[in-house]
Amino acid sequence: MSGFRFLARRLAQGVLILWMVSSATFILMHLAPGGPSMLADPKLGPVERAAIEARLGLDLPLPAQYVAWHRNLLKGDLGQSYLYQTPAGSTVLARVPNTLLLAGSALLVSVLLAVPLGIRAGLRPGRPFDRLMEFVSVGALSLPTFWYGIVLIMIFAAMGHLLPAGGTATPGLEGSMVDRIRHLILPVAVLSLPIAGELFRYVRSGIEAMAHAPHIPAARAKGLTEGAITRRHLLRNALLPLVTVIGLQAPMLVGGAAITETVFSWPGMGRLGVEAALGRDYPVVMATTLAVAAAVVAGNVVLDLLYRWIDPRVRIE
Amino acid sequence: MRRSGGFASLVLLAACAVGSKASSNTLRLALINDPILNPVLSPDIGSVLVNKVIFPGLVRPDDQLRPSPDLATSWTVSSDGKVYTFALRRGVRWHDGVPFTSRDVQYTFEQIRDPKAGGFLWSDYTAIDRVETPDSFTVRFVLKSPFAAFLTLLGYNTGIIPEHAFHGKPIADNTGFNRTTPIGTGPFRVVSAVPGSSLTLEANPDYYGPRPKLAGIVFKLVPDANAQIAALRAGELDLITLEPASLPGVRDVPGLTIRQTTVPQHYFVGFNQRRPLFKPALVRRALDLAVNRKAIVDGVLKGAADLPVGTIPVALGEWFADSLPRAATDTAEALELLRQAGWNRDAGGALRNARGEPFRFTIRVDKGNPSREQSALALQQDWKSIGMDVSIETVEFAALVRDDLQPGKFDAILIWWTTPPDPDQYSYYVTDQINNNVAYSNRAVDSLLEIGRGETDPVRRRAIYHAFQAVEREDPPVLVLYYPREIQAMSDRLGGFPQLGIRDALRHAELFSLSSR
Repeated sequence: MSGFRFLARRLAQGVLILWMVSSATFILMHLAPGGPSMLADPKLGPVERAAIEARLGLDLPLPAQYVAWHRNLLKGDLGQSYLYQTPAGSTVLARVPNTLLLAGSALLVSVLLAVPLGIRAGLRPGRPFDRLMEFVSVGALSLPTFWYGIVLIMIFAAMGHLLPAGGTATPGLEGSMVDRIRHLILPVAVLSLPIAGELFRYVRSGIEAMAHAPHIPAARAKGLTEGAITRRHLLRNALLPLVTVIGLQAPMLVGGAAITETVFSWPGMGRLGVEAALGRDYPVVMATTLAVAAAVVAGNVVLDLLYRWIDPRVRIE
Repeated sequence: MRRSGGFASLVLLAACAVGSKASSNTLRLALINDPILNPVLSPDIGSVLVNKVIFPGLVRPDDQLRPSPDLATSWTVSSDGKVYTFALRRGVRWHDGVPFTSRDVQYTFEQIRDPKAGGFLWSDYTAIDRVETPDSFTVRFVLKSPFAAFLTLLGYNTGIIPEHAFHGKPIADNTGFNRTTPIGTGPFRVVSAVPGSSLTLEANPDYYGPRPKLAGIVFKLVPDANAQIAALRAGELDLITLEPASLPGVRDVPGLTIRQTTVPQHYFVGFNQRRPLFKPALVRRALDLAVNRKAIVDGVLKGAADLPVGTIPVALGEWFADSLPRAATDTAEALELLRQAGWNRDAGGALRNARGEPFRFTIRVDKGNPSREQSALALQQDWKSIGMDVSIETVEFAALVRDDLQPGKFDAILIWWTTPPDPDQYSYYVTDQINNNVAYSNRAVDSLLEIGRGETDPVRRRAIYHAFQAVEREDPPVLVLYYPREIQAMSDRLGGFPQLGIRDALRHAELFSLSSR
């Protein structure tokens, strides 16, 4: 019962948040100087300009545009992209699989790197391995993506000819799994490294702090093996902050991989959102913002449910 | 067991051979965003480029940028210059097999001339009164007044679209055609479009011209300029165009050729002549003389630009007044002209007029392009050195155009025009015309550009535009900074690419070839 009420309340909150996000985006977007890039052609005369503005509905006063956009949203119509001349909703949705593939792979690789390394470093703090990882993780966190991405492309594609320089697939080989994985390696390497660096630091400090908690010597006194202590008593407790970080990182990955996606010509939502923002493609800006906001809201609900599963002491209220 | 293994590897080998053969004869070019596959609606340079390959026009620019036959095999112009009659090529088929006729041409111009259709070519063709189709293979354009740039414009961005593909509905609503399944008459036709990734074209076996030498062309979406260079070096692209600042990334790379071609563009500083400060021609000439263009061309543009005469760029060949001297630096002369205009240097070296006001203005430039931002800095230094008080403001390009340039709210602006390869600059520099954002007004220029656009005799027309460029030296409409060259970095394998900017070269895509290494 409480679960149902919890979900209903979160849903209502979600709708409210989405409305606030869409309103804020609408206002900010129209406050920004310039306007749709298709109207930025210096040669455009008043006749063509007026015709384009009328076709896009930009000749209406702003409050009318605001109401119209929300009315259409309720009908499931997010409008027509200015840049792509396709429905904004389906344009954004078409990018979701690419985004999930890249973000999901990057997150998976990050966790697979960060958790074992974090445990190892956290169990023996101050040792050479821990020191080294401290250095490596800070380095990974501070690498500028646009530079590091290009360096990887130069090494592995331009010089080594080992991996493709960008894109999601070789044109004509879109169905090939091997081809897809080859295209994934470099962008995943770029995207996952800073996340792995951050996750590592949470795991490591979580393990280190937990190692001094009173229940660990108790478990040891009980005669449990070190492996069992790590798995059952250390990791589970250290996992809670990790889940929080992942839950907050995941939606950011959806919208925030724009630089990686641009450097690797990866057609994901982040790149779409940035291109739309630069081109003042209002319908696509609104649609991407809504999609990312919805992902954040959904991510938080999932997070709350996960907390409860990981730590039965957590109560949902 | 053994035999089947051998057979399998044979199949694999064959598959590899087929795969590599197909790709080795497919040209790979870069785009920065998904194109709109409709020449009437092309809103950006990427779309314009792709559409040149898919949609031929009635004429096309030859290697001197002069109009030459394409979908029209010949034409006549009436003696008053107002009626153009084109004989269309027979036996041409659209990519879906439907025959091409004069009705398609008429339909294309109906769409272009309807502002509600959402096209970008409307202002090019305001001179047209009506388009007639006496028979299936003849088109007659009747103009309101003689318009000498007409042929050049037909060969510039005006691809012909098929009437039958739109079923009488608004062309902007046909998302399928405009995004994935366009139908043209060109040497290559679209076989697949993967939004955000690539656009694949194959040779059109029914093309009316010489059989395309390439098997196909793939346009890959590579939005980042550095990633384009990396992909070129990785052998995943065959040709890119680049900014001067990126030249070190492609220089001395084995297998790559770097070429520079002149293009019909002029970069300039527009001085807003609504402001009393910039009204006198003497002041504008002084601003011009104070600028060290050679330093900008060599330092900022790495030599990839030509020094200017006037607003007609050197790429326009015979229309460019080669006999006039190129713009030069002379600060002493600049100060003398300023003195005549009432500006003298005070004890501190600052220019002041009789009322003691400083010579102060702001130059605006778009944000994010290193060449232009650095040019603006160099200009600021040059003008400061003769006592002017100049500040720079960088603004996003769309805002620069919409909020500053077009409403005329600026002192000085660094921007450029990309023009068709015709000297007609009526809309830019004639008093009160729509693109005359600097509010320039000179009687002699008004009448020269008025006569020039109506003059159909090439010799007389050339004399008119050379006279125009001479007047520009005395009363510069804008400060022409340079004519940029397009820098092309291409694979050594690429042949048959005309010595033209990529915009015009793509009209000759059937001649491109790729040699095997």
